[in-house]
Amino acid sequence: MIRGLFYLLIFPGLAFQVVCGFAFEWIDRKLLARFQRRIGPPWYQPLADLIKLFSKEDLLPLGAYDFVDLMLPLISLSAVLTAGLYIPIARFTPFSFEGDLIVIQFLMSVPTLAYYLAGIASVGIYSILGGGRSLLQYFSYEVPLLITISGPAVMAGSWSVAEISSSQLTMGPFIIFQPLGFILAVVGLIGKLKRDPLDIPSASSEVVGGSLTEFSGAKLGFWHLVMNVQAVVGIFLLVNLYMGWSNLTFPFAAILVFLVECLLMVLILSGASAVFARLRIDQLAGLGWRILVPLALLQLGFVILMGV
Amino acid sequence: MDKISIPIGPHHPLLKEPLSMRIDIAGERVLGGTLRLGYVHRGIEKMATQRTYVQDVHLIERICGICSHVHTTTFCLAVEKLLGIEVPPRGQYIRAMMCELERVHSHLLWLGILAKHVGLETVFMHAWHDRELALDIMEGVSGGRVSHAANQIGGVRFDLSPEQVAMIKENVEKLKAQVSGVLDVIENEPALRARTQGVAPVSADLIRDYCVVGPVARASGIDVDLRRDDPWPPYDQLDVNVITRPEGDAWARTLIRALETRESLRLCEILLSQMPVGPVTVRAPRKVPEGEVVTRSEAPRGEVLYYLRSDGSDKPARLKVRTPTLAVLSLLPEQLSKIHVADIPVVLAGIDLCIACADR
Amino acid sequence: MVKQIDLITLLERIEAETGCQCEVYQGITDEDALYIPVEDLGAVIGMLREDFGCYHLSGITAQQRESQPGEIELIYHFWHGKGLSLLLRLPADDPRVASLIATIPGADFYEREAAEMYGVTFTGREETPRLLLPDDWDQGPPFIRREESDG
Repeated sequence: MIRGLFYLLIFPGLAFQVVCGFAFEWIDRKLLARFQRRIGPPWYQPLADLIKLFSKEDLLPLGAYDFVDLMLPLISLSAVLTAGLYIPIARFTPFSFEGDLIVIQFLMSVPTLAYYLAGIASVGIYSILGGGRSLLQYFSYEVPLLITISGPAVMAGSWSVAEISSSQLTMGPFIIFQPLGFILAVVGLIGKLKRDPLDIPSASSEVVGGSLTEFSGAKLGFWHLVMNVQAVVGIFLLVNLYMGWSNLTFPFAAILVFLVECLLMVLILSGASAVFARLRIDQLAGLGWRILVPLALLQLGFVILMGV
Repeated sequence: MDKISIPIGPHHPLLKEPLSMRIDIAGERVLGGTLRLGYVHRGIEKMATQRTYVQDVHLIERICGICSHVHTTTFCLAVEKLLGIEVPPRGQYIRAMMCELERVHSHLLWLGILAKHVGLETVFMHAWHDRELALDIMEGVSGGRVSHAANQIGGVRFDLSPEQVAMIKENVEKLKAQVSGVLDVIENEPALRARTQGVAPVSADLIRDYCVVGPVARASGIDVDLRRDDPWPPYDQLDVNVITRPEGDAWARTLIRALETRESLRLCEILLSQMPVGPVTVRAPRKVPEGEVVTRSEAPRGEVLYYLRSDGSDKPARLKVRTPTLAVLSLLPEQLSKIHVADIPVVLAGIDLCIACADR
Repeated sequence: MVKQIDLITLLERIEAETGCQCEVYQGITDEDALYIPVEDLGAVIGMLREDFGCYHLSGITAQQRESQPGEIELIYHFWHGKGLSLLLRLPADDPRVASLIATIPGADFYEREAAEMYGVTFTGREETPRLLLPDDWDQGPPFIRREESDG
């Protein structure tokens, strides 16, 4: 019982994921700054920002629902925290069952729906536009993402993330066999996280703040936590699906290798954010259905053929 | 899909200065829009008649932050014509050099804004980093980054020492190298091209009907640049390359400003190398004889027109300023039909708004 | 490059084709200027655009000269390689002139500014909304010289 609480609240649950979220946000902002010839924030900036947000006044537009606006980020936060429980952290998996990959995908989609509802619930015109765009974006990246991450599952013969990771001890990292799948999964992750170049729902020059325009104070703080934890869980997932557990044997090998792989993922995400311009929603829809889906099917077909 | 009307402005992340627009959209398509100016109207024309000509030079500088020098230049040219005095050649060269540096600064600023709106934050940061170099040059010679107070009636307020000339030459070289990198991205980056190519094309006939000026007109093939076609000295001794493009879309406007930046840096180097020696200013009497004059200049955004009427005293009787943004803004409602919502930032950035200029 | 029009040629062509009596105005330094009767404005501008290719209207200046307070003067600034200004004189108590926005849509903003600053009425357009003055400005055209206060 105590052990269960420890897993839930400390590691790999709430505390661990929130701290990783802060670390991710800091590294991301620092890398982006360095790409842009700036200095970037100090290490405690994400924590300071959160504390500041929680101490701010909570303004609500006329007609918006206070309780709904509070519950939406909290439910999203619990969804992504739960998703993170099933993903191995450097071979450590307290909870794992056959089929948890599907559950993780479902839980990771809860924030998207919540984001849309937050837009509708906020009454303002920019929120509604942002919310609508987030659903349009969801339809463009989710299908290729689902097809793509079936690849490692088929290759490992299991729908459990821990199984997929451990099977790479014998088969080798899946990224070697499914490089296209990895790239598509990264694109899908960028879409899910609504990061540049796919931050269309919250493109500030077009819809000011998207769904979150009218959010302030603690509610906005919770949304920031959701974004960070979602990013961290997404990174852990991709690292486990495509890079898996390694055969290296030296002290703390598993932890160090996992750390390096995660940092590599952060580098890829930050680099994409710095280099590419934002797509238009119709360009994204075209990209998603005309390029990403066929490529994902191709990759999956290749994996199936290889196994046969 | 129902038609809804979204407000852009007076306060919006897109706008540097307040401007009120109501844009009608249906889904992701824009149907049209109306705009309302006047949020930064300060009554400069009226104030100019209540101040002396010397005070007016400082008033005119504050019409706009980014094209302040060209406004004071055009005003001083008007007064000097009425007074019948001629600025010494060295003063003319310094005036032109500051004009070209200001053009570089304005285009780099615009470039950053366009990149930011399109999501290319990295280009925004790099462009504004390079813009700092241009501002450093202007501060090194005049003491001010954007409001230089470089002009006075009869010439310029300061001379360039040999150290300053060396500093400018070195910084212009550095600027050319750094700007080359950013401009290469602009010209070759496929994502930027995808966002701007084919967006809001404007035909040359529409440009003529709406009397549009500046890079927006040149992007539709209209070959007019007042530095070449109606020059004030020393532009009549310079060979200005006028860059035009036939497409008339946002991509053409982007490309033209990028190429104009290169051209302005080249003109800066020529002006520095050919700078004559001598005085930089002549003494101007306070009272201006009766008369009227019209002067025109090529500001970074296009043709700026000044009409000045004097009644023999030391204050103007009438000053009329027609800024280029006002001419370009009349085309905006026309451009806003048939585009996507996501193209609105691109269209607005292509116009290169300077609302303070338009409102005066 | 735009071709330039000689002023005397222009004057002769205007008088020949439209029959209106214009006179050269020498008051503007280094700029061609013509006085046009108010009712002939449309005809002259049409001729400038079609026959001479002079289409670029840079701006419209409205002013009230101290020597002639009973008149409001409008100056249409054109540019065709060099400047050309067309001057009109309107009576100050009822300044009316035909609007140009049917032929030159770009004249819209300039007409609106002249209308709100000097009270000029532009006929032939459905409405002349405010351009620069705030919506609740109720003190009349601010540039008009009034007897009781200084203009």
